[in-house]
Parts: sequence; C-alpha cells; structure tokens
Amino acid sequence: MAVDMQELVEDSVLLQCRVNETPCEEFIHPTTSLLDFLRENLLLTGTHMGCMTGHCGACTVMVDGSIVKSCITLAASVQRKKISTIEGLGEKESLHPVQAAFCEESGFQCAYCAPGMLLSTVELLNETPDPSDAEIRSALSGNLCRCTGYQSIVRAVRTAAKLYTADKETQE
Amino acid sequence: MNLRMQYARPRKLDQATELLDALGTGAMVIAGGQELMPYLNYGRISPSIFMDISGLAELEGIEETAQGISIGALTVHRQIQINPVINSALPLLSFAAAQIGGGRQVHNRGTIGGNIVAMHALYDIAPALIALRAQIEVAGNQGLRTVPLTELLVETDHDLGTKTLLTRIVIPAMDPASGWAYEKLKITEGSYGSANAAAIVLRKPDGDLQVDLVVGAVAEQPVDLTGPLSERLRDNPDTDLDEQIDAVCQAVITDPISDQRGHAEYRKAMACVVAKRAVAAAIKKIKTS
Ligand code: FES
Ligand code: FES
Repeated sequence: MAVDMQELVEDSVLLQCRVNETPCEEFIHPTTSLLDFLRENLLLTGTHMGCMTGHCGACTVMVDGSIVKSCITLAASVQRKKISTIEGLGEKESLHPVQAAFCEESGFQCAYCAPGMLLSTVELLNETPDPSDAEIRSALSGNLCRCTGYQSIVRAVRTAAKLYTADKETQE
Repeated sequence: MNLRMQYARPRKLDQATELLDALGTGAMVIAGGQELMPYLNYGRISPSIFMDISGLAELEGIEETAQGISIGALTVHRQIQINPVINSALPLLSFAAAQIGGGRQVHNRGTIGGNIVAMHALYDIAPALIALRAQIEVAGNQGLRTVPLTELLVETDHDLGTKTLLTRIVIPAMDPASGWAYEKLKITEGSYGSANAAAIVLRKPDGDLQVDLVVGAVAEQPVDLTGPLSERLRDNPDTDLDEQIDAVCQAVITDPISDQRGHAEYRKAMACVVAKRAVAAAIKKIKTS
C-alpha cells in the first residue's frame, strides 16, 4: 500500500481563507457547509439560509469573484480562496451602487432574498455592464423571491447597471 | 450527520485511486458538491470519508487531442459555456450547458464530471453528450480505461465516484457542416426540463439527412432515437419527417417517468414535441455553402 492513509485522511480541516478581505483560520468539521461556516463560526448572518438544497439562492456568496450557493459548497473546499459576503458589499453610510439601486426601485419587500439577489447582480454587472431584460432574468434564475413578483427586482438591476457604470467611471 | 466523518484531499490521481481502493465501501468522491451537498445537509448520505478531488490537476483543462476534445471532469458548466475551443468544436455542448438549471451559482460550481456521475434523469447535457458520441475516461486500481458514455448509462449501479473516478470526457469535434439544436421544455427559467432533446443533422452527399437524436427527462435514462430513426428514414423515404419522429418516439419510449413535472403520458407526448422541434431547428442551422 503506497498511500499513507494517516497522512491523507483528516478528522477536522484547518480552513484558511479570506472573508471580506479579513484573513481567517479555523478548524472545521469536514461536512460543514460554507453557509454554516459563515453564519455559525464567523457570525456573518447577512448570508441567509432558505433551503439547504441549492434551490432558493438566499445563501449566495462570492468565491474568488464568482457567485456560488454557500449551502451546497463544502467549506473545506474553499481553502485559500477569497470569499465575499453581503457584509463586505457596502457601508450603511455609503451603499454599494447595486444596494442603492435596490433601495431606490424597491427591489425587495421582506428582503430575505436580497443578499443573494445583490451578489448575483454584482456578478452579472461585472461581466455584462448593460444587460438586456432577458439577460437579467437569466442571471437571477438561481435566486427565488417569494414577495416581489420579480418586476421591481428587474427594474432595480436596470437602475443598478446605470449607477454601477457611472460609479466605475468616476473611480477611474 | 455522521460526526466521525473524515476528509481526504489527494494531490495526485494515483493517490486518489489507491485511497479509494484501500477504503473499500463508504468513501464518496466530491468535487463541486452540487449533487451531494443537499443530501449531506439532510442526512441522506453519511460516507465515512469524503474524498475531495478538486486538487487533482489530471482532471482539469480542455485540450484538443487526436480523439477529439478532451474535457477534464472538474470543468465547470460555466467554462463549457464560454471556452473558445468548446464553442467552436462542440457548440451543441456549450448551448446545452447554458440550459442547466439552478442558476449561475450552479454553473460556476457544478462540474461536467459530477453531472454525468449523478446520472439524474432530468439533468441537461446527457442527451447532448450522447448525440455527440462522447467517450469517458475512468481511472481505477486497474489503470485508465476509455468507454463510450452510453456503456455507463446501461449500468444502473456503476461504481464511479465510490470505487473509480471519472477523469475526462473525450468528444469528437462536430462536423462544421452539421446543424444542431437542444430543445428544453421548462416551467421557469432555472428549472429542470419536463422533456428535452438534442439533435445533430447532417446532409449526406446523396442529399439524405443523417439525424442524431436523443431525448431526455422522459425516462430514467436518456433515450437514443438515432438508430431506430435512421432505419425508418431508410425504409420510408417519402414519409413526412415529423411523422417518422413521432412514430419512433411512440415505439421506443416504452417506460416514461412521472413526477411533479407531469405524468408519464404527458411526458412522452412532450418528448415527441421537443424531438421534432430540435430536428427542425437543427435542419435550419445546416450550413448551405
Ligand atoms: S439556502 Fe442555499 S440555495 Fe437555499
Ligand atoms: S423580498 Fe421577500 S423574498 Fe424577496
């Protein structure tokens, strides 16, 4: 037997990653989902839990700039990656342009879906600064909302596209 | 939840296969986790060891080889949608990967290998892969072997992901003169299909059509209509194409499934509809130059 099993197999995993720019290092159980890691170990409860089956998208976060559903992402698999959650998006005093657009257009009612909707919108606008309605709906198809009927969300994304581009231009 | 569950993250393919071999039953391979995590979260699976294969470089990358395009099993759906090699050699696959349900989040994280190993009746891309005559590379303690994807589909309890590893998918490049389509009947943007169909149509030098046609989400396994359809076309050259597709669907889909998306009779009827639509759309796309 060439493989040293003792060396390969672990009971707990030392997870090292960056969450919203802050380095963190924690021993976790191998079955911990990224969602539980964020909410329970780091107490970042802005990321919501809706189903734990990958359907609702309330738990959406970014891993190295790409959105994932944190409930169906094994925490152990984000070793040395950069995680961004809703807590890292903007400040109360200076909202991220996507947050500002959702406020302006009432892009949420109860807002349970909002953390996921916002991060999905950020990824969409990073790739497609001026999306069509069809592109918006397709990009948000992994996020469910039980309140709005989606019309105000699509409107918010359209407004976000304008604010986000303007914001980027002033930064340049 | 099994509190004693362990975790392993091998760095080399031979380490991984030896470990799977040594562990016997109870090990489970995880990559993107899109299939397994929901089961894990609800306590439906409790492997003694999760083997995380995301560190295996042998399972990565997209290369052009003599046998065709070789796609690493860890390639995520999003990559299949946008990779220029796949876009130009296998446009049907890029298109089908964009239809996968669950949204961008799942496209960013779900792997082509995991999608195949899960062998879920409703999943997209299997019909396209079968129509494209994909081969899969499987690594086990006996080394590497290459088998047609369809061979895997007949084994209902394959040992991929527990005893062996799916390493790469090898697909011959499409004929640029062919037309292709993937049709999916779905309730919402991000949902599974109630019926889906992949078609590749090529006009032969004698003017006849060669049609590769596979329907999915209608039976436990995708149904390859290619053989029966070509026989019918040969025997009844003057009958309307739609009628022939209908007849073949009726004859070949013998065991349609029922679920929340509709009962068996409806599913079979819808499979006929998407099959005809896919072939018609593929014919329209044939390059006439
Ligand atoms: S909690 Fe993750 S998708 Fe619903
Ligand atoms: S605003 Fe309530 S779920 Fe979307």
